[in-house]
Amino acid sequence: MRRAAWIGGFLAIQAACVWLVEPDLGRLWAGLPRLAGWIAGGFPPDFSGFGDIARRAAETVALATLGTTVAAVLALPLTLLAARPSAPWPAMYHPVRALLDALRGIDGFVFALIFVAAVGLGPFAGMLGVALHSAGSLGKLWSEALEAADPAPMEAARSAGAGRAQAAAVVLVPETLPQTASAMLYVWEFNIRASTVLGLVGAGGIGQELKNAVDLLDFNRVIAILIVIVALTLAADRLSAALRRRLL
Amino acid sequence: MLQSRPGLVVQGLSVALGGRAVLRDVSLDVAPGEVVALEGPSGAGKTTLLRAIAGLLPAEGAVLAGGRPALVFQQHALAGRLTARENVLVGALARMGFWRAALRLWPRAEVAAADEALAAVGLDGLEARRADRLSGGQRQRVAIARALVQRAPVLLADEPVASLDPATAEGVLGLLRDLALAQGLPILVSLHQPGLAARFADRVLRLEDGCLTPS
Repeated sequence: MRRAAWIGGFLAIQAACVWLVEPDLGRLWAGLPRLAGWIAGGFPPDFSGFGDIARRAAETVALATLGTTVAAVLALPLTLLAARPSAPWPAMYHPVRALLDALRGIDGFVFALIFVAAVGLGPFAGMLGVALHSAGSLGKLWSEALEAADPAPMEAARSAGAGRAQAAAVVLVPETLPQTASAMLYVWEFNIRASTVLGLVGAGGIGQELKNAVDLLDFNRVIAILIVIVALTLAADRLSAALRRRLL
Repeated sequence: MLQSRPGLVVQGLSVALGGRAVLRDVSLDVAPGEVVALEGPSGAGKTTLLRAIAGLLPAEGAVLAGGRPALVFQQHALAGRLTARENVLVGALARMGFWRAALRLWPRAEVAAADEALAAVGLDGLEARRADRLSGGQRQRVAIARALVQRAPVLLADEPVASLDPATAEGVLGLLRDLALAQGLPILVSLHQPGLAARFADRVLRLEDGCLTPS
């Protein structure tokens, strides 16, 4: 009976999704030859002027890296306010948690769109978008790491007369360094992937190059850029995974 | 160096946790330089009594100690990624500002005091070793050194040898007794090994069901 209710609920949700998305296999079937033509026409990939692609790829890595660093600076005080062992004012706990949820809930792409309007086109807007969204993600991951840490050293420091924030800074932050550094690497790796599309809204990076090529229907160029994007994200993924393995 | 200390006086201490009386009207005293052992079965209230005296639990009654007592925790409660010296310096945080401590700009005098405390517990030469690379006995000694740099008038130790092998346990208890004599420090230590309590303490108190009973 209970299983039937689960299956019924699952099917109802799927039905609602189908109703909202309106999938049309006929349209997909009709579009497939066009898609296949573009892909076939995209080979061999056009790597001419590779310097431009490389510069845009470097821009992507730079804005993701700087965005993650700025996010860490923003997230650190928020984390200390949003983790029970370190929060000096319990009344601030839930409001700061809500702020972190809000930052995390708005995608970096949306933040970048807003910042393009505010500070103009280019990677600076993208970096700001990445930083704000990631500050929410890092704050949540870090505060969870602090809350999961062994409370005994913190209690020992407090019993010796240390203030809550002081004890957290001296004991808790170093104790959770492997977890917090690992979370930061994970967010950085995610940001490299996410930053490859920021160029679509004019926020810099390799996405800008991709958008130009798609607008010109230059599929040889599109395939070349996609190859670079896949290589970039795979490299970031492997590097981050290797570093995290060493940390934990 | 023998210091003039007031000793520890506890009068009518009662603690209720979750509506249940865990300690009832406990009174005791520990003279300067004296080691008093507290024994009793698990759940008798030994840890609660020490934590209440240390001010970590709300309690009724009076604790006269001439300042905040230092507590050595059962499982040493060290930060594994900090060095032995840094763990000892945690005991001195109350005398440092936030930024100074957060940025590890330890005052020179405090570093010297931490090294002196580590030497006093027999760990000179291990100041820069991470706590998680020390043996169980060495960790408990670091915890004692951390309590010493608090410059507390009273030392409390909650089953400090519970997880140690017999030889190491004797070493740690001998150290506590030597510190009491050398520094005139009143020490109240809970133990669950009656043999050790009789050998290393000047007096043994027995706690049962939250009340002190004749030992």
